[in-house]
Amino acid sequence: MAATLYWIQCGGCGGDTISLLGADSPDIVELLTLLDIEILWHPSISNNTHSQHQDLLERILAGRQNLDVLCVEGTIIRGPGGTGMYDAIAGRPKKDLVASLASQARFVVAVGTCASFGGIGADGAVEACGVQFLKWEKGGFLGAEFTARSGLPVVNLPGCPCHSDVIVSTLTALLGGQSIPLSKYNTPLIWYGLLVHQGCTRNEYHEYRVEDQGFGEKGCLFFHMGCHGPLAYGPCNKVLWNRRSSKTRVGVPCFGCTRPDFPQAYPFYYTRNIEGIPKQLPDGVDRAHYLAYKGMAAAAAPDRLKDRRTRV
Amino acid sequence: MTATLNHPAKRSVTRTLDIPLNRVEGDLSIRVELDSGRVSEAWSSGTMYRGIENILLGRGPLDGLVITPRICGICSTAHLTAASKALDSISGIQPPPDAIRVRNLALMAELLQSDVRQTFLTFAADFTNGAYQRHPLHEEALRRYAPMKGETAIDVIRQTRKIVEIVAILGGQWPHSSYMVPGGVAGVPSLADLLQCQHLLAGYRAWYERRILGCSIDRWGEVRSGADLDNWLHECAAHRDSDLGFFIRFARQNGLDRIGGGHGNFISFGLLDLPPGTEVRSRNGSTTHLMGGGFARGAHITPFDPANVTEHVAHSWYVDYPAGRHPFEGETRPYATGEESQKYSWAKAPRYADLPAETGPLAEMVVSRNPLFADLLTSGPSVLTRQLARLVRPAELMPAMQQWLSEICPDGTFYDPASAITEGEGFGTVDAARGALGHWVRIEGGSIQRYQIITPTAWNGSPRDSGHVRGPWEEALIGTPVADPENPVEVGHVVRSFDPCLVCTVHALRGRCSLACRDL
Repeated sequence: MAATLYWIQCGGCGGDTISLLGADSPDIVELLTLLDIEILWHPSISNNTHSQHQDLLERILAGRQNLDVLCVEGTIIRGPGGTGMYDAIAGRPKKDLVASLASQARFVVAVGTCASFGGIGADGAVEACGVQFLKWEKGGFLGAEFTARSGLPVVNLPGCPCHSDVIVSTLTALLGGQSIPLSKYNTPLIWYGLLVHQGCTRNEYHEYRVEDQGFGEKGCLFFHMGCHGPLAYGPCNKVLWNRRSSKTRVGVPCFGCTRPDFPQAYPFYYTRNIEGIPKQLPDGVDRAHYLAYKGMAAAAAPDRLKDRRTRV
Repeated sequence: MTATLNHPAKRSVTRTLDIPLNRVEGDLSIRVELDSGRVSEAWSSGTMYRGIENILLGRGPLDGLVITPRICGICSTAHLTAASKALDSISGIQPPPDAIRVRNLALMAELLQSDVRQTFLTFAADFTNGAYQRHPLHEEALRRYAPMKGETAIDVIRQTRKIVEIVAILGGQWPHSSYMVPGGVAGVPSLADLLQCQHLLAGYRAWYERRILGCSIDRWGEVRSGADLDNWLHECAAHRDSDLGFFIRFARQNGLDRIGGGHGNFISFGLLDLPPGTEVRSRNGSTTHLMGGGFARGAHITPFDPANVTEHVAHSWYVDYPAGRHPFEGETRPYATGEESQKYSWAKAPRYADLPAETGPLAEMVVSRNPLFADLLTSGPSVLTRQLARLVRPAELMPAMQQWLSEICPDGTFYDPASAITEGEGFGTVDAARGALGHWVRIEGGSIQRYQIITPTAWNGSPRDSGHVRGPWEEALIGTPVADPENPVEVGHVVRSFDPCLVCTVHALRGRCSLACRDL
């Protein structure tokens, strides 16, 4: 029997759906066939009529239609004043529909940083939060104790957008009954157990502390340009975007878009420093050791890096 | 769906129903009144408020480059372009010519993706609607456009994901990169990068010519009038059976050339900046754009003047101010009254010289005096003409892309260091996939003090203004026949021909497109 999937879009840009449409091996069409997934509803794809959709919702909520996977995209808008009416559907807050569907689903997957942690809007008047987290704190919309019918909490797939490989493979693993160990932020460690920094073609510049202070160069962006590569967990430089590249490879700092505090409260494209050393150091690194190591590394930098001759 | 009988004393057949129309980007609710089977009144309502403009206030001067692409998953490159052009204008810097080429190429790849996906995954999916079950072309429509199953639908998914690889090569990823910066772009494309882009583009062009047009772009370029179009259609089976040929046949046979008119006012901010020294020629003699911007009222076309842009909120859920305000004076103060007042949408109502105006590919064709569309428009705009303009826009773009790719000097100059941006006011305008997009920005004391965004869908899907004049697709709906109020596919055709993107209407919306036909 086909596995069933319902995709709901809340406060967001649709970028995770767009990311999924870019999937390859399998692409979205192959994915549905390979895993025998029936999309009960996706707002950008389905062409069911409204009455068919209403009937579907009734059957799911009454337990007459099995719901294997609920994918939530976009942040849960609770404003103004907790009413949720900044995001209404047919005159009712969409957040209520999320709660009802989540109670019936075997798995609940938060796709993207907005659904995972609140993302864009978590700081705003719309009173947004993630499905089961608000930034670093567990709870969010459904509460810390929520588990789906499978017993799993909401599986968070952050990223702005989330990479298509992560969405596709998570669905494959969940529906295939394979266990995917989660971090304390309920993100699968397979993809969120490595740093964006890993695999960046500028790593050697980082290693020898050859730093850029402006755009259009080849050096490391961590020390001055606000790059979060060593601070953010995600597979960007391993799986690559659109099978081609990543932001850091083309000289754009990582904005830490998989982090629960994205978008950060301080300005982008700028590294907050303490005496020339970034305030936030790579995860787990001791400040004194880092100072000594980076001082020695800079002294050891070869001319080919200092002259930016090594390509990235 | 609920249906109630009308008051028996009334002559018109009336009923009340709610019919969400999905497959628009975001949440939109359309309310129409039906009188004797035709739409007599229409209200377009955005049902979500995200408050993005206000999130930007107080943030770092460059933060619009990171936050605003996140407004929209499908046109993030357009927002990035507008955001960086606004900062260019504040810093007074003109990016190097090759930086303009790189910005254009990424934006064009996004347009190639959007025009084709919207036409076949969103608009033409309605051709598979049960309303056409008895039409002779219905089976073929299903074979082509059934969601996730149709031959064209699958092909479109596979080809469009390839063309946006150009954005990833130049800008790191698509969607949501932030590689355009004041003064140019962050990356320095190599010869290898540019060659890969050329290969991707050549592949997409070959596919577009074979599958979508059924002829070469050069042959299509000879179609310069309605009569030419008929000749082209009947010339050979390859034309008739292409997706363009099928689209025209299906649309004509089902009356889509007779619905969806509208005000007949068009606005374009100008499509694609011409880099100095390029051999690419403007379509309308513009010295600044591939298709120079302008405002068209009937056949009268005037150059675009940004001073004429205002936004009204009389029917929008914001704290009132009289008449319209220029975006440099604009504000976004949400004020949700529900349904008790005349306010009914989270979208503001942009106006040009106080007039509503339609934007998008058709507006570009009109303003740039494209002969085919000038001829087709002698009988007024329609769903068919509007969607046709979108479907053939890639033919206008790809030759220019190929030229720009060949003009770029690899490892050359793509960035002119901008001085620190601390003070000033500026704006960036661009024609995005769905039309005219502008960011108006004021920076003071090193942080953003005002950020006003007017999106294409705000133009097209605007509610009434302070003079109670309908927005463009509200107007275009008037007179639309609705054969079956339980399945108002005609309303979907009209609204989707504007390519609604409600996530973009940043003050506002997301959701279904619900249709309420109220009692008269």
